Amino acid sequence: METEELKQKIYEIVEKSKVKKKLKEKDVIAAASEETGLDKDTVKKALREMIDVGKLMYSYSGGASSIEIPSEEYLKEKGLL
Amino acid sequence: MALPQRKTDIGPPHYEQFLPPVIKKNYGKWKYHEILSPGIMVHVAESGDEIYTVRVASPRLLSTDTIREISDIADKYCNGYLRFTSRNNIEFLVSNKKNVELIKKELKEKGYTIGGIGSRVSNVVHTQGWVHCHSACTDASGLVKVLMDELYEYFTTKELPNKVRLAVACCVNMCGAVHCSDIAIVGVHRKTPTINHEMVVKLCEIPTTIASCPTRAISPDPAKKSVKINEDKCMYCGNCFTVCPPIDIHDPENDGVSIVVGGKVSSLRSDPKFSKLAIPFLYNNPPRWPEVVSAVKNILETYAKHAKKHERIGEWIERIGWERFFKLTGIEFTFQHLDDFTFARETFRTSAAFKW
Amino acid sequence: MAKKYETPLLDELEKGPWPSFVKEFKKAAKRSEIASDGLGQLEKSYRTKRGYWKHGGIVGVLGYGGGVIGRYSSLPEEFPGVAHNHTVRINQPSGWFYTTKALREISDIWDRYGSGLTNFHGSTGDMILLGTRTENLEPIFAELSSIGWDLGGSGSAMRTPSCCVGPARCEWSNIDTLDITYSITQEFQDEMHRPAFPYKFKIKTAGCAVDCIASIARADLSIIGTWKGNIKIDQAEVKRYAKNGMDIQAEIVDMCPTECISYDKKEGLTINNEECNRCMHCIAKMTKALRPGDIKGATLLVGSKAPIVVGAMLSWVIVPFIELKPPYQELKDLTRKMIEWWDENGRARERIGEVIESKGMRPFLEYIGVPPMPQQVKAPRRDPFFFWAKTDLK
Repeated sequence: METEELKQKIYEIVEKSKVKKKLKEKDVIAAASEETGLDKDTVKKALREMIDVGKLMYSYSGGASSIEIPSEEYLKEKGLL
Repeated sequence: MALPQRKTDIGPPHYEQFLPPVIKKNYGKWKYHEILSPGIMVHVAESGDEIYTVRVASPRLLSTDTIREISDIADKYCNGYLRFTSRNNIEFLVSNKKNVELIKKELKEKGYTIGGIGSRVSNVVHTQGWVHCHSACTDASGLVKVLMDELYEYFTTKELPNKVRLAVACCVNMCGAVHCSDIAIVGVHRKTPTINHEMVVKLCEIPTTIASCPTRAISPDPAKKSVKINEDKCMYCGNCFTVCPPIDIHDPENDGVSIVVGGKVSSLRSDPKFSKLAIPFLYNNPPRWPEVVSAVKNILETYAKHAKKHERIGEWIERIGWERFFKLTGIEFTFQHLDDFTFARETFRTSAAFKW
Repeated sequence: MAKKYETPLLDELEKGPWPSFVKEFKKAAKRSEIASDGLGQLEKSYRTKRGYWKHGGIVGVLGYGGGVIGRYSSLPEEFPGVAHNHTVRINQPSGWFYTTKALREISDIWDRYGSGLTNFHGSTGDMILLGTRTENLEPIFAELSSIGWDLGGSGSAMRTPSCCVGPARCEWSNIDTLDITYSITQEFQDEMHRPAFPYKFKIKTAGCAVDCIASIARADLSIIGTWKGNIKIDQAEVKRYAKNGMDIQAEIVDMCPTECISYDKKEGLTINNEECNRCMHCIAKMTKALRPGDIKGATLLVGSKAPIVVGAMLSWVIVPFIELKPPYQELKDLTRKMIEWWDENGRARERIGEVIESKGMRPFLEYIGVPPMPQQVKAPRRDPFFFWAKTDLK
């Protein structure tokens, strides 16, 4: 699988879960690994690349850290929009 | 102005560049130390080299003005080296003995408080309080200030049977080692939180919120797509508020502080101990919390009067028994002192031998 | 900047001999609107007896998930200066040693981008820069990291490790607390900055059982220096303590928890080292006469935490003795194993001690490869209910 395709999958997983449940990094990696059959390290690497460029971000709420899709405000602040 | 290139994951700078030359030279080769006065000690190395430490109180919350001022002082007398302690004191590291009296003089002139070393009250470990925390039920900086104004001499001059570690936590999350301090003040709530159902629906994960309650007081409220709280079971810990902020536990009328005593972290003589409840509740009475100050002073001075040399508060209480502690301090014993939470069975008396 | 708010209640806290945090606030408020509005809001809290801060998570520096704590006023119209009031955690140097040059550089950056208010230090040990706006976070990080500083941990992550003053200025330290802390901090940079754990994980290193860092009470992994072998005695110094008025029988012998010390004016001090539990009382009280033995190492303990959620815990002895020499590979490998097990078995917001309590000590010990030892318990179990694994039955 191409990295871009994997990244698309990861993005979809986070997006789908947006309303229902805040996903921890571990949950995202497990879900994407299961869906794609790729090993967790590969998924983690792709996820980290997405976070590094602001495609996804770490968030904190409810007393725990999670992965979220950045808001427009966040992207503007980082000069990415 | 263009920003410099950011670097990630470099970690902290290596500590070695911040060590005074005499420390670098004698690193790991110190032989002994002597406390010369309540705020000054000397460490002597195998080589015979010495380093003098002058310890000064700090409110922990420092402006950059003050940081520059202490830097000026350290430049003048310490070749630009200083450190902070785990209890928020400032330590000036003086390599040249001649400078000890000079720095002492200048610190006094500038209004700094020297002390806190040895068998006395050191600085107070504390949390953010109303200054900066979202879950505070009291103000930590304010409580520290009024306590230490009153106990000032126990930092600067007076000696106690052993050291007394004070701590203030503005809620039961207890950032800092409040749960193992000689005397500690902790902010507490006393009423079941109120729920903003509309916001719960928007912001909170219902299963996580239910699971967050240590006493299983929270259950689903299907009609509102929210949760409800069983008032008989709630112990006001506020964990649900952390997990789901629309469950608001703040209640200015009923929030206040508890005082716990007898904890320690060292293994000296006896094992480390948790602090235990002395006073279940005192109202927030800012700006100077007179009831809290006099309650702490009473406990401290009762200990000072009755403990043996080298006994920490917890060791003294264990020797005389808690029933005697309540009698000597005159603190009322209430239903709140009886544990009805996790560790209850360890605390009930299982012997007919006790004191009146 | 002109004075913005009347603060009659806080002004009361400028009185009295102890250093005043209100004075610090007022100094910063002369230059910074964050500090002046922070002071105004604090005065209101003193009047109404409640805080006005909201906890918010969607702030940080690009790529990191930790090091910045989002904070907003719940009264932004009344106190616009603290509409944003975020905290930046800067990883402190081991042992909190600084040069004035470093402190001045940080102060200059902070005055440019933040409130001018700090904490030296936060409870976990980080240098805390207290109060800035979202748009300043990237510039602060660029400025600080370009001169060698990095952010500390926050959220569900490895938190900034910290340690006591150790061998830098203490004769009791059995291990190089500063170097161990620096080394594990570097080892776990990814785990500190990118929160992937069930909850926080703290490591604190103390040079001896005096535990000036409160490691045993507030670290998921407590590393406490200790020794094997005989306590070294300088009898001439023992005599000097006696001569200077120390009641050695009452203060040392009678207070020894294992009753392994005896004292005779002529013979001096005798220690039955076999029975000594290395509590540090005698060494701490007779620092010139007594010193720890020569075989140095540490005890590793796991699990301490504050009361949330089901009660405070002290750390439990897991590895009674481990030698700690650079590059501390055994310690690092063991720590990774502990974290792996916890991550595999823990739910969100569960600390490692709680997971050990619910899953049992045995699976934890088996996973990290440590055998059961009497040094790990105060007493063996008192109930007759215990598991037998198939392998135990043979």
